[in-house]
Formats: sequence, structure tokens, C-alpha cells
Amino acid sequence: MSAESGSALEVDESVELAGIPLRNAVLTASGTFGYGTEFAPFLDLEKIGGFVAKSLTLEPRFGNPPPRIGETPSGMLNAISIENVGVRAFLEEKVPALPEGAVVIASAFGTAPEQYAELVGQVSEHPRIAGVEINASCPHVKAGGIEFGQDPRLLAELVSTVRAATRGPLLVKLSPNVTGIAEMAKVCEAEGADGLSLINAVQAMEVDVESRRPVLSNVLGGLSGPAIRPIALRMVWQASRAVKIPVCGIGGITDADDAVKFLLCGASAVQVGTTNYLDPGAAERIAHGLADYARRHGFDRVRDLTGALETGGSSSLGG
Amino acid sequence: MNANEAPIESVQHDAQPIRSQARVLANEPDGHGWRLRLAVPHWPGSIPGQFVMVGAGPETAAPRRDPLLPRPMAIYRERGPLRTADEADVELLYRVVGRGTALLAASTPGDRISIVGPLGRGFRVEPGAGPALLVGGGTGIASLYELARALVACGRRVSVLLGARGEPDLTGRADLQALQGVELICATEDGSVGFHGRVSEPLEACLDRDAVGATVFAVGPTPMMRVCAELAEAKGVPCVVSLENPMACGFGVCLGCAAPRRAGGFSLVCRAGPVFDAREIAWEGLP
Repeated sequence: MSAESGSALEVDESVELAGIPLRNAVLTASGTFGYGTEFAPFLDLEKIGGFVAKSLTLEPRFGNPPPRIGETPSGMLNAISIENVGVRAFLEEKVPALPEGAVVIASAFGTAPEQYAELVGQVSEHPRIAGVEINASCPHVKAGGIEFGQDPRLLAELVSTVRAATRGPLLVKLSPNVTGIAEMAKVCEAEGADGLSLINAVQAMEVDVESRRPVLSNVLGGLSGPAIRPIALRMVWQASRAVKIPVCGIGGITDADDAVKFLLCGASAVQVGTTNYLDPGAAERIAHGLADYARRHGFDRVRDLTGALETGGSSSLGG
Repeated sequence: MNANEAPIESVQHDAQPIRSQARVLANEPDGHGWRLRLAVPHWPGSIPGQFVMVGAGPETAAPRRDPLLPRPMAIYRERGPLRTADEADVELLYRVVGRGTALLAASTPGDRISIVGPLGRGFRVEPGAGPALLVGGGTGIASLYELARALVACGRRVSVLLGARGEPDLTGRADLQALQGVELICATEDGSVGFHGRVSEPLEACLDRDAVGATVFAVGPTPMMRVCAELAEAKGVPCVVSLENPMACGFGVCLGCAAPRRAGGFSLVCRAGPVFDAREIAWEGLP
């Protein structure tokens, strides 16, 4: 294994996340990838690791009134509020429209643990659903989300209730709006989660000085994009050192180098989010770039990059 | 036609959108606006009323991070294929309103600009005995050129009514003036060209003159479109608008561009629109 072996090296791109075998380590993040079919003109769903579909609720749901989005330095702010078609339309209309080789992870949202459990029970039975990610961290729905992800007891109750409803792969998507991410990670592991996804959007706000109004109708929203990437990297580093279950890194990934950073900090896979908006083919491009990186640096398996951060001589990185 | 009749449906283009690194052919000011001509490889063609998402400035070696999001812009004109084959000449009109459009204004021929499109549903272009009244304000003017051309081609009588603060805000006026079979009426708030006042006044005059079989197409600032819609509704004339809500993706996944519907709930401007029957929109809920 050496850098000089160069282009001849056949790189094994496959990884495993929460017991789900993936052809490569690049997935796309819930809420930024619709139900998958929207991206058919721009990328091959069978060439990315998989995708996490828009968060579902038991019934269809409308979101917030406009304005729902705003631009901020190297990022964007949103308060959509889990607008979705509902679990039934997802399984009956959206999933059958996907190509056979697409790896689909469903995302569940609710306002009570029992709602999550019912929804997870429904989707995880479906043969096309590879796993479920529970959205315990949506930062802008007053009645749900944030409370589960911010309170270790609520989070434990949520994960254990959902765990009882499925034997399939179960990921928990964590909120960054906490003081100690390691504690939240440990709670999920203790209650039987198979993996963690982090981070969700960072709670934030922006103001329009001309109108002296908040940019979003909801006032508060979630910040995403490259602006949050160093925060996400820090949290992935801290969480992955606290647990043995795999971590999926999310937050401002725009290119293969960004993806590599998350793997080095302990992630087993990554999700591309906001970048899908500006470059709908990004995930496929990043998957290619990740394999290239491994090849150039003499790694014959992408999964060997996980946790391969060199920290010798540095004390400032310690978590 | 009265308010109870079925809404005028926008038209789905049969070509899939592409993402492309377009080459800047020209980027020049025209009054207070700018005209950007792009050579777009593999351009599938568009229908009037569709738009593209345009990167906020020319591409550089590193991925674009700031400003992050592309800007939706109407396709003003398209001509193609170019001599270099498999490329079309796609022209956009824009105004410098912030940092992203300021970066775009700094791009020069040969630069690469990322675009995604054509996106959205377009105008329904149908023959008809009555006049087609196309009302444009601001960058909304950009949506009217190809529409006027298509309506003339199918035999409609076409009047284009442009509203602006003053003469320099009428970007694209000369092109519309040069279109055969189009009556051009301008209204400026400072009186520098045409009617002295708002564009709703000549629209009302046109509707008073000849409302039978007329269709109003209005594209511009929300208050302008709302006034046009109300005038049309009062005369029992159908009105089609094209909304300009901010959006991050343009193809139905960010859900940022939701417009409230009169019937309740929201429609995504990028997918269900940007072209809508004005009666479907709950104007009071638009920011």
C-alpha cells in the first residue's frame, strides 16, 4: 500500500452503515433530495451510496408560509417545517418510481414517540426500504423535533420506543443544538440505535434591515451549507469517539475533500445536503472524487479512511 | 370566461433539464439592467415562461461557497444551435440587486457559469380571436419576449405593456419594439417614455377597448401582478402570472418557493409554476 502504486490500484469503495451495505460512502441528506426521482435528470441513483428521503409524518403535511428560505454567508437558512406527502403516498407512489438499485433510507418525524414508532413500523416492513433514520433534531417545529434531540431523557425514550418497533437498521439523526453531543450519541447507542447521522441544521436567524423583519416567516430556522461544516466536523469527531456504532457525517459537504475530512474524523459514510440544490449531480461527483482520493493516497479500501486522522503532536484537537 | 371556469393550466415541457457549464458570450449593461448571453452545450430547448438557475458569478477552480445559492432567471431569448454545434445561445436579463448579481455582472466573455434548466412549467400559447395583453415590470420583462413571439406565430393579436420607473429600467424594450406584429406600450412613473404613470392604466384602457376573448399575461413585482389580476378579474378576463419567489434549487426539493393558494395549502413556484392562473394565488399571503 503506497501512494506510488497510483492509478493501477483498484479501490474498494463499499462501506457499511448501521448494517446497510452501501456501494460507496456518499449518500444524500434528508430534506435536500426530495423523494429521489427529482434528481433523475442529474445523477444516477444507482451510482451513489444511497439517499435519505424527505422526512415523513403519518399524515401529509403542509409547511410554513413564505418566506421559508434565506441566504447567509456560505450558507442558507430554512424553515420549511417537514412539508411532506405522508407515509402512505411515499410507499405507494414515490418508492415504486425509483430505480431498482437505488438504496433508500426513510426518514421519520413525529411529535410523540408512539407516532415515530408507528411510522417506522410501517416503512421498515417495505422491501425497498434499506433502513430508517429518525429525525430527532428538526430545529424549527415547535411541537416536536428539537425537544427529543436536546434532552437526553426524551431522546432515550424516543430511541427505545422506535427500537421496539423495528428490527431493521435504525439511524438517529442528531441535533447540533446541544451542549454535549457525545452524551446524546451514547444515549442513542445505549437504547439500541444502529448508527448516528449528524449534524442536522444549526438553529439560527437572519434579519432584513430594510424591512426590519426576520428573513423567515418562522423567525428561527436551520442554518446549513459550508458555513456549518467545521461545527459538523467537530461534532462527528466527538460523537464517533464516544460510541462504537457507525456515524454518518453531514454538514456543508461540497466536494470530495470535505467528505474525506468527515471520514478521517470518524464517519463511516457521509450525506451531501445543501450542495444538492446548486449542483444536483454533486453526490455522484463526490463519490468519484472519494475513490480518487483513496487511490492517490494508497488506500485500497475507502472504509480504511474512517478514523484515520493523524493527531500525533497535536493537542488542540482533543475532545 | 368567468371566475367559475377551469383555470388556465401552465404547460409542461417534454425535455428534461440539464446542468451545464455555460460559456459567457456577452455580458453587457442595457439601461439599469444587464444582458447575459450564454453558449449552453446540449441545451434541450425551452418553452416560453421557463427559467434557469444561474450560479451567482463565474465558476472558479474551487466549488462555489459564497454566495452559495444559484439565482432563478427567466429565459429571455434562445437561439440555436450555434456554429459550434450542439450549443444554443441562451440570453438572460438581470439586475444587480445584491452580491450574487454583482459577481455575475463582473463576468466576461469566455467565463464559465453554472446553469440548471430549463425548469418550471411555461405559458399556454393558444390561438384566439381576442387580444393577448402581456404586462411586464422589472425583470419580469424577460419572460415576455419569447411569449410574444410564440403568440404572434399562432396568430394572436399581441400588445406588450411595459411598466418601469423610467426609461433606463425598460431593459429589452428595443427587442420587443423590433418584433413584427407586436404593439408596444410603455408606462413610466417619471414620464420619460410613454404613459406617465403605472402600467395598470394602459392595461385598463386596453381592456376597456377590447376585452372580448382577451387574455392577460402579467410578469413582474407582486403588487403589479396583483393589480393586473384584479383588473382582469373585474372584466371577466383570464389572467396568467409568473411568480418570482426566492428558491434554492428550482426543481422541487428545497420547498423554499411555496406560494399560498386560494384553495388552501401551497404550490411550489418552481414545479407547479412559475406560470399560474392568477385566480389560484392567495395574493395576500405572498411576501
